[in-house]
Amino acid sequence: MTGLRVPPGQPNGAPAQDGAQAGADGRTDETAAPGAPSRPAGQPGSFGLLGWARWGWRQLTSMRTALVLLFLLAVASVPGSLLPQQGIDPSAVQQYYLSHPALAPWLARLSLFNVFAAPWFAAIYLLLFLSLAGCVIPRSVRLARSARTPPPPAPRNLARLPQSARHESTLDPAAALDAAAGVLRRRKFRLRTGDGWVSAEKGYRRELGNLVFHLALLALLCSVALGGLFGYKANRLLVTGTSFANTVTALDEFHPGRLVSSSDLQPFSMTLNRFTASYVTSGPSRGQPLSFNAYVSYTAQPGGAVRHDNLRVNHPINVDGVRVFIIGHGYAPVFRVTDGTGKVVFDQPVPFIAVNTSGLTSQGVVKVPDAHPDQLGFAGVFLPTAVDVGGVLESEFPAPLNPRVSMISYRGNLGMDSGPPQSVYTLNTAGLTQLPVAPRPLAIGQSIKLPGGAGTLTFTGYRQWISLAITYDPGQLPALIAGLAALAGLLLSFFVRRRRVFVRAYPGPDGRTVVDVGGLARSDPAGGFGEEFTGLARVLETASRGPATETPSLTTTPGGKSD
Amino acid sequence: MPDNQGLSHLSDHFLIVAVVLYSLAVVAFAADFAFGRRSPVVTRAKAEMPDRVRAGITAGAAGAAEGSTAESGATEGGAAGSGDTESRAAGNRAAGEGGPGSQSRAPVSHLVRIALTLTTAGLALHIAGVITRGLAVHRVPWGDMYEFVISVSCVAVLFFVGLMIKYRPYYLGLFFMAPIVIILGLAQTVIYTPAGPLVPALNSYWLAIHVTAMTLASGTFMVGAVLAIVYLFAERHTRRVAAGLSTRYGEVFRLLPSAQRLDQIAYRTVVFAFPIWTFGIMAGAIWADQAWGRYWGWDPTETWAFITWVVYACFLHARVTAGWRGRRAAYIQLVGFACLLFNLLGVSLFITGLHSYAGLS
Repeated sequence: MTGLRVPPGQPNGAPAQDGAQAGADGRTDETAAPGAPSRPAGQPGSFGLLGWARWGWRQLTSMRTALVLLFLLAVASVPGSLLPQQGIDPSAVQQYYLSHPALAPWLARLSLFNVFAAPWFAAIYLLLFLSLAGCVIPRSVRLARSARTPPPPAPRNLARLPQSARHESTLDPAAALDAAAGVLRRRKFRLRTGDGWVSAEKGYRRELGNLVFHLALLALLCSVALGGLFGYKANRLLVTGTSFANTVTALDEFHPGRLVSSSDLQPFSMTLNRFTASYVTSGPSRGQPLSFNAYVSYTAQPGGAVRHDNLRVNHPINVDGVRVFIIGHGYAPVFRVTDGTGKVVFDQPVPFIAVNTSGLTSQGVVKVPDAHPDQLGFAGVFLPTAVDVGGVLESEFPAPLNPRVSMISYRGNLGMDSGPPQSVYTLNTAGLTQLPVAPRPLAIGQSIKLPGGAGTLTFTGYRQWISLAITYDPGQLPALIAGLAALAGLLLSFFVRRRRVFVRAYPGPDGRTVVDVGGLARSDPAGGFGEEFTGLARVLETASRGPATETPSLTTTPGGKSD
Repeated sequence: MPDNQGLSHLSDHFLIVAVVLYSLAVVAFAADFAFGRRSPVVTRAKAEMPDRVRAGITAGAAGAAEGSTAESGATEGGAAGSGDTESRAAGNRAAGEGGPGSQSRAPVSHLVRIALTLTTAGLALHIAGVITRGLAVHRVPWGDMYEFVISVSCVAVLFFVGLMIKYRPYYLGLFFMAPIVIILGLAQTVIYTPAGPLVPALNSYWLAIHVTAMTLASGTFMVGAVLAIVYLFAERHTRRVAAGLSTRYGEVFRLLPSAQRLDQIAYRTVVFAFPIWTFGIMAGAIWADQAWGRYWGWDPTETWAFITWVVYACFLHARVTAGWRGRRAAYIQLVGFACLLFNLLGVSLFITGLHSYAGLS
């Protein structure tokens, strides 16, 4: 806060004037604010720390500051969508580091790879919500108070109001006022009567809606925080025919909330029995997936009843509040490796990761640390539907119609015993030598015999895998309720207008009663009060002709709609 | 779920004819602007010709034509010469106050009526095109970007015709329909995607809820953006006139609704669209929760929907803040619409995210 302007230092911390100038949000805008008149430089001591604090608080809760903060929030979100984000796609961030080695560390220093968790992003929305709270909470108090206050007395000259009308009545002034009050009461106006006048006000729900909307936004933020503290997210890749239990060690990725410990995980376990995928087989969108069905069985806790379910996209499984989603799928070719000593040292499915979606060409590596005399490593691709395109093997369909693998073989040191932990999807070739094997795609059952008696690799078949997202978010339901409340508040504040109607009746020069009607919309930025007033004035005129005509004319008068 | 290619082709044909009709409507609107300096008396004589019967193809056109006859009658009183300006100014004043039947009193030229008829006929075909596309694929017709664009533009034209009936700002037609023609033309050529089934992620009833809301809101925001642009020009004109400066195109602005009126209609469109957009984001969040396991994940499309929401929220707040009303608020609204457009085009085409359903490669 570099306060160049002198704080006004109002002794009472005068509340925002509840006048027509206050915006829809009730914040003092710059016309309503006293505008910080510069005091003579000779009295700097008249406002101390408290004065500055008050001035700062007024600045923070002013509409202009809120506007600027809103803008900042929008602008600050932009890099989060243009740069890869750690929380969304960590591999894209790594890719960015490789392609922009000079720039990336600087961006990282500014948290630009993690914008939505960055301190400066949090600073913006916390300031915004503080500004909001500083405006909304005093306002709630005022609303509660004003809900019990009757409208102000009618002004003397109603013709000066933005809307006004005049008609004559055959009734005497008191009866004409009674008739008008009756009309307004039936329209749910709040009334106050005095000597020769009636004041009426309506549309308090607009204020209420406004408050509900902004408070609901605060509640939404709290719900998000609740999820961030007590929720968790995890990923797990599951090959057909295998199981896993929901424990930290069994999960591939685990992102706990700040207050989640490993013992808080719901102790379910799940088995993938079968997985099927169907694809469009002809036409321009051939190869596009149509459906994924993962047939799983699970128990909510060890020893519990086994349940069966069909896990599909858009149809997660809910186990004790934890939800399990299918978010990906792929192939896991099964390899058997015999080492130089003739022993089978490896026989299992290896998940390969799809590198393109149209044909599901998938890449992966096989690491055989137990092979002797040398460790063995293989890197290659799995092609579900292999076709020869000009001498190059490609997969032209995602279903396994003609599965082939093509592997490059290495021997030497896999480097798994030392150094940083390795990814299971990449091979560190620093300590390996590539073996001179003629590249040959393998069909199921075929083998590569490695030169120098290093061993044999056999492609024995394939299985499918699915990747699961496991999420627990206790803030979910509160967030939904807050969202719905925000929407309801928004609609109320948009489509209800707060307005006052005044009626004065007095004897005219010719003895007939003159009725003046005046109207004032206190918040009507979209316009439309004029129409309502015109209709209302017409109804009031009809009503003032006497009780005999009042009832039928009320029901037939158009344009007098009330909310 | 076989897709009916015949219906899909029919949809394409409907839309091509709709674009042609819209283009002709633009030509008619433009011709009216260029040559339409007729006297109100002549206009009235033409308006009363029985061609209403011939031209009234659809209910919308008939409604517009009916309005136009009433308008011509109303201008009868002070028709000649400067009287026209006066009655128009009075009309604007009344319109600003919003009394019933106080729409602007500009006479309607023959060309405008042709343009409106063409627009309405084009709209009928446009709607037919969207519906047949939906029938061809057995679902709501907004599953890929092409379908989304034709639906959004359909909503925009529908809203525009609604504005024409309610407020009768006929001379805004050129500003509305020209972008529609460009958008639909691009949809037919650049982003055209053949009818096809949905990917599993989109196969949910939330598609109908979430994308329908986004389509409605986007179409309405588009109308609001056009109004904001016209407002900015009209407001500048008003200021220059007030300052006694000469302005070009004074004739044009005399025919358009007043700056204040434009501002008000633009605000109303945003007030209409903003809750729908809010609802659309919420529905999207619920769907994301069902499909991806989190209701908000800062996916690029989500981020830009949020940015758009925030900027329109800025607009709504600016509108009630002194020093930010008028031009600044209009600029904010345009920034909001630019964000919406970027989300629709830029993010869908250039940024990979979970919402990459454009169907383009």
